[in-house]
Amino acid sequence: MAHYRPSEMRQQKAQTAPQEPNLVPIMNLFLTIIPFMLMLVVISQVALVALNFSQGEGGGGSAGGGGGGKEVEKVELIILDPQYAEKFGFLGFEIREPGMDSAKLPAIGQEYNFVALDKRIKDIRNRKADLIDITVTVYPNVLYRDLIRTIDLCKANGFTQVHYTRPTARFY
Amino acid sequence: MQLKDRLGSSDKNLRRVRRKVEDVKGLSITSLLDVLTIILVFLIKNVSTEAVKISAEPGIRYPSTITNDAIMEKAEATPVKIFTDKIVLGNESLVFGHPQELIMNPDKRKAILDYLRMEANAIYNNKADDIEACLIIQADNFIPCEYVSEMVAIGTSVGYTHIYFATLEDADWLQKESLATR
Repeated sequence: MAHYRPSEMRQQKAQTAPQEPNLVPIMNLFLTIIPFMLMLVVISQVALVALNFSQGEGGGGSAGGGGGGKEVEKVELIILDPQYAEKFGFLGFEIREPGMDSAKLPAIGQEYNFVALDKRIKDIRNRKADLIDITVTVYPNVLYRDLIRTIDLCKANGFTQVHYTRPTARFY
Repeated sequence: MQLKDRLGSSDKNLRRVRRKVEDVKGLSITSLLDVLTIILVFLIKNVSTEAVKISAEPGIRYPSTITNDAIMEKAEATPVKIFTDKIVLGNESLVFGHPQELIMNPDKRKAILDYLRMEANAIYNNKADDIEACLIIQADNFIPCEYVSEMVAIGTSVGYTHIYFATLEDADWLQKESLATR
């Protein structure tokens, strides 16, 4: 049986309802940070395709990464333009690979055949797994979209060192 | 006023007892705080800490690519925008004429070369030693490569070591292309 002590209750403080923490300073902080971050946030999703010219051939629109003193085996991919087609009757891609005959991928109508190009690059990749260098030579009237798509397919198939050149011989 | 009149009258039946007004509680901001926390987390996730900011230009139709290369950590970029009807250079968005002038007009080409040389020198002189100057080319899909090649040639000749082409990331563009060519 509990022993009754009249002084026990006097020691206890009166119970009060738990107070909510003061959120106003936190709110102020948030309201300051959020507009600032909204200013910094990048909404549009712009991607980048990079070409490294730091050790390349330099100048004249021809350049590329890698190389150095050693001669690197390269595959050359030429994008022929409608002017070339008028003169020589062929529009499309030409692929020159060391030790192989040059291959031609004709365009379908006026559109380049990127599906065939992708297949071809994959074939090269399967044959030469170590090769990372590819030279893209672009004729002047090829559209920018087609150049970027070509570089993109090369990069997507593991050719990380894409060299971008212009043809040395022009046909007028 | 009416109430006062009624209370002031001698008729006891009409006398009304005023209720004790309850204390107005403070507005609960907990739910608002929850929303702000969610927004803050979302913004922190999306905020770009990259030194170089690239914003899409409404007048440019960007090519789609599977590749999305990251920009170098220590890079200072000069934007070059090639629209179908004009060339815009630098962060100040200076208009340097029609793209055709890049090929046809030697004075214009010289002006572009001088401007890019000035920008590249400013990057190498003012910044840290290991900084690299890079050129971000934003060109329209239907620009002939002649102009882009010329701009790349000018850029590399004045000291830009890295060239980036702005695109829109689309992992399925080739599949769409194959459907279109069937």
